[in-house]
Amino acid sequence: MNPVQPELASQLITLLAAAMLVIQLLMVVQRMLLTNIRLFALQSLMLAGIATIIGFSHHNAGHLYAVAGLTLAGKVFFLPWLLNRQVRRIEIEQEINPLLNASASMLLCGGFTLLGYIVARPFTSLARLGNNTLAVAVTLLLTGFFLMINRRKAVSQVLALLTVENGVMLAAVALTTYGMPLVVELGIFFDLMVAVMVLGLLVYRIRETFSSMDVTELSQLKG
Amino acid sequence: MTLLAPILIVTTAAGLLCLLLRSGRAMALVNVLAFTVALGLTLRLLPAVLQPPGVVTECKEFFRADALSAWMVLLISVVSLGSALYAGRYFRRDLEDKAVTPGRVKEFYVLTPLFSAGMFLVVLANNLGVMWFALEATALSSVLLVAMYSRKTSLEAAWKYVMLGSMGLALALFGTVFTYAAAISQDSGAHLPSFNWSHLMILAGQLDPHMIKLAFVFVLIGYGTKAGLAPMHTWLPDAHSEAPSPTSAMLSGVSLKVALYALLRFHILTTASLGTDFSQTLLLVFGLASMVLAAPFILVQTNLKRLLAYSSLEHVGLICAGIGLNSPITVFGALLHMGYHALTKPVLFFAAGNIHQACHTLQMRRIGPGLLKVLPLTALCMALAGAAAVGLPPFGLFFSELTVLSGGFAAGHSVISVILLAAILASFCGILYQLTRILPGTPKVAREASARRLDGVSTMALMLGVLLVFSIWLPAPLLDVMHQAAGIIGGAP
Repeated sequence: MNPVQPELASQLITLLAAAMLVIQLLMVVQRMLLTNIRLFALQSLMLAGIATIIGFSHHNAGHLYAVAGLTLAGKVFFLPWLLNRQVRRIEIEQEINPLLNASASMLLCGGFTLLGYIVARPFTSLARLGNNTLAVAVTLLLTGFFLMINRRKAVSQVLALLTVENGVMLAAVALTTYGMPLVVELGIFFDLMVAVMVLGLLVYRIRETFSSMDVTELSQLKG
Repeated sequence: MTLLAPILIVTTAAGLLCLLLRSGRAMALVNVLAFTVALGLTLRLLPAVLQPPGVVTECKEFFRADALSAWMVLLISVVSLGSALYAGRYFRRDLEDKAVTPGRVKEFYVLTPLFSAGMFLVVLANNLGVMWFALEATALSSVLLVAMYSRKTSLEAAWKYVMLGSMGLALALFGTVFTYAAAISQDSGAHLPSFNWSHLMILAGQLDPHMIKLAFVFVLIGYGTKAGLAPMHTWLPDAHSEAPSPTSAMLSGVSLKVALYALLRFHILTTASLGTDFSQTLLLVFGLASMVLAAPFILVQTNLKRLLAYSSLEHVGLICAGIGLNSPITVFGALLHMGYHALTKPVLFFAAGNIHQACHTLQMRRIGPGLLKVLPLTALCMALAGAAAVGLPPFGLFFSELTVLSGGFAAGHSVISVILLAAILASFCGILYQLTRILPGTPKVAREASARRLDGVSTMALMLGVLLVFSIWLPAPLLDVMHQAAGIIGGAP
């Protein structure tokens, strides 16, 4: 079963990875929480697409269909639905209020992208799926961390963590072609689901106790 | 017979069983029983790993235990059992004081065995990816324990813990992926290569050195965050001071070391692949940084449990530095230190828990002086454990610190050893000074003598007794396990 030419598959994967990067940058400048959640779902859809294409175009990569399925079910549908429900239930205001304004963040993330490409350069010979995927993965990691620092709302920090996770999964696919063994992928997936639920519970309790979701209020413990 | 899977099954089953139970006493009993069984199984495991070839594997090598894993399993089961023994009375008092709701106590009894099961899986898993998600599972099961009291401060601590922990673990996963990729470039890509640690060790000589270096840096930052190494330690004092005391004891007594164990597996792999210089230097730097950074915070600390948390930071730093010095003596000393610290620190946290419940504060200014008159037995246990923690003889930490230091001098690292000695002395002075502020003297505030003075003392006395016995006399099999484990870290197959 090798109907797709390797070049085409590689190009498609590069395209989807680039789309993931663009979506990430949109999340950096987007101020509405619900839109952010939808963007994350879209980004995860691209990741599922990449896994499907590899499963389709390589031998012995059948388990990547399972990975794609899990990503689709978990990160494209379930988690966004869960976060959406939570945002609506606790009726927080929509505006995200980043610490740094949009244009400065954009500039900084441009720098991160450059850095990602520099870091990934020595490994391009190893990145088996197009030269850009690893660089995009590193960039997702860096911008994800930036998003986490730049956001005040607890839910948007959770979203930032999830995009970092997307970056790591992309790196796993980019560097190894076949992703990780299925048992590991399953474990990571399961952990992620539990993590979001635990974080959701914590956000709920923070909201109840502080009557806000602004994590900058969490600053009593020092020394 | 199978030993590894049952340890995991028993603890997980205990956690799930507690979901069905109502009565607090029954749940406490289930916890204690499960950990007793786990300890029993561990004691069977120790002789098993001493038989050649020194490795026990089960379920098609999914589980793998060598002497290092067996040593960690022993620490986990001892500390878990200790804190389960202490927890029963502790939460009964909390319930009487209306500090927690019965629902939260149930949460504790459900999550604690799962937390332990996660740690067991970390040290027993052969697959590095499985090790990663087990470590993530320990973080997730303990975060709700940290947030148990729902005070503003405990929610803050839990949020910091889970956010920093998850960021760290994301980096560690990145490093794990890199390690796997380094193995793939050798194992021709026709089929999925095994991600087992034992398999990677066979390939170690052929792994791509750049990849392995990058991987180790990511893993060091990632698992180092979870192990509380400075400067990624900022969550540690918060989480340890805000969690209920039995959880603090587990976080400090073993959870830090389990994360360090995960780091060590990569250290061994990196050493086998690149030679000794690279990873040992990094471990040494981070270990020294943790020790040097902990000392001033100990000296100026005002909160009792934060004081203990910073002391843990110092001890983890010493263990890390001992391994970083990488001579057979220092590695052995570091492992010994892990064991003695795991017996000492829980006692201190249990005593702090008693004090917290009696005085309703952890501010040392308001607790002391005169604690020996208010809570004589608790204060006595605290004094003894405090003396042990700062490294006074006849307690074991004195011997393990001495072993690390003498090994460092013998291996010619005099400057590093002098820094270690200075940091040890600084925290020695700090902790003794702080304890003398609260323990002796006459109480300023009249506190009612309650019927609770004996609660929890038996557990503390038991652990101190075990510590004292093992300080003076270490059974031969334990010594053998530690020597074998030191050999594994030091590069033996």
